[in-house]
Amino acid sequence: MSQFDHKFYDFLTHPDSPGQMAAEAKRYGYSGIVVTSSKTNEEILLPEDFSIYKGIEIQAKPSRIREQIKKLKNSGIISIVRGGEEEINRAAVESVGLDILLQPLEFNNVLAKAASDHSIAIGFNLGSLIKLKGDARIRELNYMKTNIKHARKYNLEMILTGDSGSVYDLRSPREMAALSSLFGMTQSEAVDAMSAIPLGILRRKSPNYVQEGIEIL
Amino acid sequence: MKTLPTLREKKRYLAFEINSENSILRQDLVREISNSIISLFGDIGASQIRPALMSFEGRSGILRCAREKTVETRAGLACINNIRGIRVSIRVLGISGTIKGATEKFIQQSLIKESEPERR
Repeated sequence: MSQFDHKFYDFLTHPDSPGQMAAEAKRYGYSGIVVTSSKTNEEILLPEDFSIYKGIEIQAKPSRIREQIKKLKNSGIISIVRGGEEEINRAAVESVGLDILLQPLEFNNVLAKAASDHSIAIGFNLGSLIKLKGDARIRELNYMKTNIKHARKYNLEMILTGDSGSVYDLRSPREMAALSSLFGMTQSEAVDAMSAIPLGILRRKSPNYVQEGIEIL
Repeated sequence: MKTLPTLREKKRYLAFEINSENSILRQDLVREISNSIISLFGDIGASQIRPALMSFEGRSGILRCAREKTVETRAGLACINNIRGIRVSIRVLGISGTIKGATEKFIQQSLIKESEPERR
């Protein structure tokens, strides 16, 4: 069978209407999405075999990021830091409990090592390839190339997300794999980044999980 | 004179579906596809991909490309997020070696799938 017979997850969406997004994501072949917009408390009619998980995008000064991550630890909420300058990246990778560092700029070997020690996944924001054009997109592709180089060397977990704000930003898993091939990701890496690794993070977030290797059955 | 079959360029047909806010004109779609592919791969890349829109009505259509460049074409289609200010998302339904195959296997199937709820 094809490599695309897995459960796929998009780990960063912030739609205005999660219900519509869920229906569309289901049609596109996803099994679940993570919603970071605040309106997740309202009742949503979920399609069959589809789940919405709550996530938080931490936006704070580098000095405050550590505190925020500490607060979210063991809460079951998926925490994401949008990478940027060196200071933000460093604060993010040095704190235990963060799940995803999205699209860090100027990633280096020190940061990569710290991320691998704290099992933090590196997110690739494919939404930026869809939305940007020209110079800005070239810059993003270059950052992604550096990130994938470090991720491979330090065996970091990689995650592909669409960062979609509406159903029109959503792309199906095969399209995401095609987009990720633009910066040199192989097809099997892309499939893992949308299925195996998200499932691993969800498992780590479940209340039965104690520590790596210890789990309440 | 006709080209010998073995010397012809090999091609693939991508059946795709458009999810958009409003209806889209064929000419706008053609322009946007070639713009997207050219801005992503440049003139040389576009000449190797050789994209051509075979048919398009309303929601779904068929795009031809070179046999070895299906991944690149997919990426080019995925990079389209608006056509003349109308937000769109393009999804490839499947790839086939013939127009007939692409129509029968993917486009008609998706039409049947959509009309099902109305029957109930």
